[in-house]
Amino acid sequence: MTSTPHLLADEVTVGYGRQVVLDRVTVRIDRGETVGLRGPSGCGKSTLVRVLALLHQPDQGRVSIDGTAVSAVRYAVPVALRTRVAALFQSPRAAADPRLSLTDLIAEPLRATRTPEAAVRERVTELADLVGLTADLRSRRPHAVSDGQLQRACLARALVHRPDYLLCDEATAMLDASTQAHVAAVIRDYQLAQQAGVLVISHDQTLLERWSDRIVDLAGTAPART
Amino acid sequence: MTTTESVPAPASARAATSRPLLAVDGLGVEFRLRDARVRAVTDLHLTVRAGELLAVVGESGCGKSVLAHALLGLLPGNATTTGHAVLHESDGEPVDLITCGQRQLARRVRGRLVGLVPQSPATALNPVRTGRRLLAETLRAHGRDRADADQLAVDVGLDPADLDRYPHELSGGMAQRLVTALALAPDPALLIADEPTTGLDRPLVDHTLDLLRRRCDNGAAVVLITHDLAAARRVADTVAVMYASRVVEHRDTDELFTAPTHPYASALLDALPDRAFRPVPGDPPMLTALPPGCAFAPRCPHRTDTCAHPPEPTPVAGGGTVACHHPIRTGANP
Amino acid sequence: MADLATRPPLLHVARSRLRLRPGQTGVVIAGLVLLTTVAGSLLAPLVWPLDQSAVALDQTRLAPSWTHLAGTDDLGRDVAHRAVYGLRVSLLVGAVAALVATVLGGVVGGIAGTLGGRVDRILMRIVDTIAAMPHLLLGIFIVAMLRPSLGAVIASVGLTHWLSTARIVRSEVLSLRNRPFIDAAISGGAGRLRVLTRHLLPHVLPRLALATTLMIPHAVWHETALSFLGLGLPPHLASLGNMINDGQGSLLTGAWWASLAPGAVIVVVTFAIAVLAARWRDRFDPRVRAELHL
Repeated sequence: MTSTPHLLADEVTVGYGRQVVLDRVTVRIDRGETVGLRGPSGCGKSTLVRVLALLHQPDQGRVSIDGTAVSAVRYAVPVALRTRVAALFQSPRAAADPRLSLTDLIAEPLRATRTPEAAVRERVTELADLVGLTADLRSRRPHAVSDGQLQRACLARALVHRPDYLLCDEATAMLDASTQAHVAAVIRDYQLAQQAGVLVISHDQTLLERWSDRIVDLAGTAPART
Repeated sequence: MTTTESVPAPASARAATSRPLLAVDGLGVEFRLRDARVRAVTDLHLTVRAGELLAVVGESGCGKSVLAHALLGLLPGNATTTGHAVLHESDGEPVDLITCGQRQLARRVRGRLVGLVPQSPATALNPVRTGRRLLAETLRAHGRDRADADQLAVDVGLDPADLDRYPHELSGGMAQRLVTALALAPDPALLIADEPTTGLDRPLVDHTLDLLRRRCDNGAAVVLITHDLAAARRVADTVAVMYASRVVEHRDTDELFTAPTHPYASALLDALPDRAFRPVPGDPPMLTALPPGCAFAPRCPHRTDTCAHPPEPTPVAGGGTVACHHPIRTGANP
Repeated sequence: MADLATRPPLLHVARSRLRLRPGQTGVVIAGLVLLTTVAGSLLAPLVWPLDQSAVALDQTRLAPSWTHLAGTDDLGRDVAHRAVYGLRVSLLVGAVAALVATVLGGVVGGIAGTLGGRVDRILMRIVDTIAAMPHLLLGIFIVAMLRPSLGAVIASVGLTHWLSTARIVRSEVLSLRNRPFIDAAISGGAGRLRVLTRHLLPHVLPRLALATTLMIPHAVWHETALSFLGLGLPPHLASLGNMINDGQGSLLTGAWWASLAPGAVIVVVTFAIAVLAARWRDRFDPRVRAELHL
């Protein structure tokens, strides 16, 4: 199968204890396309994101990035590979270190990879502008901004390494309509500009239809609870 | 997880023409912080009738949650309130929820007259009691049979077997349904639901919304605070759109969704994925630094010099109010 | 002694540092009490030297007076004078032992929480086993093995008080380890060391420092109990426990004051530390901090 570069979860199986969460699930995200994913809660959508983001080791099956199989997870994955897949989670509060200002939050992945400070500042400003965070907001800490503003900062952080793939796990479910449209527009623009592959997980059928190029049903591939 | 199939009430059955149950009149809430004053609610007027479901929608930080807390007297100590919110009980004296004081609230109002479905169920549940015990305590305190607990659980879509678990053993969605059951247990005349569907997936969201709807159809009133416009559209009789601490438009649900008159309401609806999917341009103002006039003016395509003065809520043809100097008129009638 | 002119600014500084609202004078009083006692016991050798072994057999069991503010004991020693030195020893033991316990507990809890799995299970079962034994009994055992001395008392207190710290640190690390913001940091390219130093430790340290502070009064009491049982510091050395122990004999002869001063000092100091620690905990508690968040 030779074609466009893609992120692939191939026959992935994950269980916690006796409970099987993902049962031989295959999902493929091509660069340049937005894939919508739906399924009932508890069907393992979030686990699938963690597997694809190389944060969780599947019990069986494998993940490959542009044809290269990746068997390691978390710290064991080479940084250059890790930063090619970014994830955006449902709750920005849980996904943001409460001690860091929004600027530091966005800059953190760059500092973690030893980027020169001048370049860090330039890139952070560029991204904060992109997601529409005003100068006043950037110096604040998470507890002093709204969910919508914080999720925009998390989006900026996710894009900071210019990932080839972006996974959005119910990323707009907690946001008001305007912020949802804003976040979706930023991701859409980024996806087009970078020819990135985007996975959008949502329970909102209307949103998926509007946002994604094709929709995958996870319910059919995974068994229900118990 | 199974959910009972339910059909949303038809719009025709939603006509709520009964007596006003809650009349909010000129409500204002201000927080004193170390270095600033925050106006979270400004000069707010609303009426809710028995059998009516009012949805309060708006971007996060517009003050809609503060409104819910003000009505229950649950504001922190640094808040000052002005205005009135009079609750007309069917058999008894009207109570002003803003001025009646904590004792009255605790003895007469909370739970019994006004119920709250809180925003974060995890912190609202006593961690050392099972769901069944929590429900039984509430039921007994209000003179109901503790055996009703199972029925309440079924009503909110919770398996009665799950009532024997402790709060930490429940998923976010299950905890949310449990707090809903707890709020329903005393059978309050007015139910305030503050983002009751956070953390639930679609079937459960719909189930919870239909449950609120059924309460209204049985004669209670519900104030639904939500950021989810689709939810409001599904169940609400009327919708109040809040922006920067004020209600900018309060209309019948169908009329608001088909022909919004406030430029902000219109822009917010345009952000829906089944419409233009376009964000409202610009950023919402900080509640610490609200402009003296219309707070939406800096983002508004229709603004003029008049907008430097705050607009008063004025009636709209067909019912409802809008607070705008230049409301959008849908001229073309097909 | 702070003269009157310096007092308002001091209060003011204390207020703004601790984010006090007016009316929280309790915290200010506790702070001043602690400041005075700590400064007093540190400076005592310079301004009011004491010969630990000196006795005055012609002045035994004198009731409190202007010359002997808290009276004298069986051997004619000034109780107030010795109480200052007793506090000095007790605070030293308390602070050092709390530090020992924190380091030990922090390391064990940190390892258990970070590595998890079998290491975690083994370490925590050891903690449970030690916790099942009475603290004091264990402390006595340790002192008995090392022979009574300042070092032995510190070891006794430190080695029995690290268990709760280990549990706190472990649970904190465990709850942080699986938080999405740690996932996000790993995804962004952060290595193990960076996650530990930038995202885990900064969250654990305030709790750890708080645990240490709260442990100081415990440690002071533990030292007092050991000395009271005659297992603590050498009898001639003034420590609060030794003094209370000596004083119990005087009680029978009617010299009630011999135990009063050391007893009062330990209660007041413990209370002051507890008040300040409680206020500090409130500041770190996100639920309290989130109260004003709209």
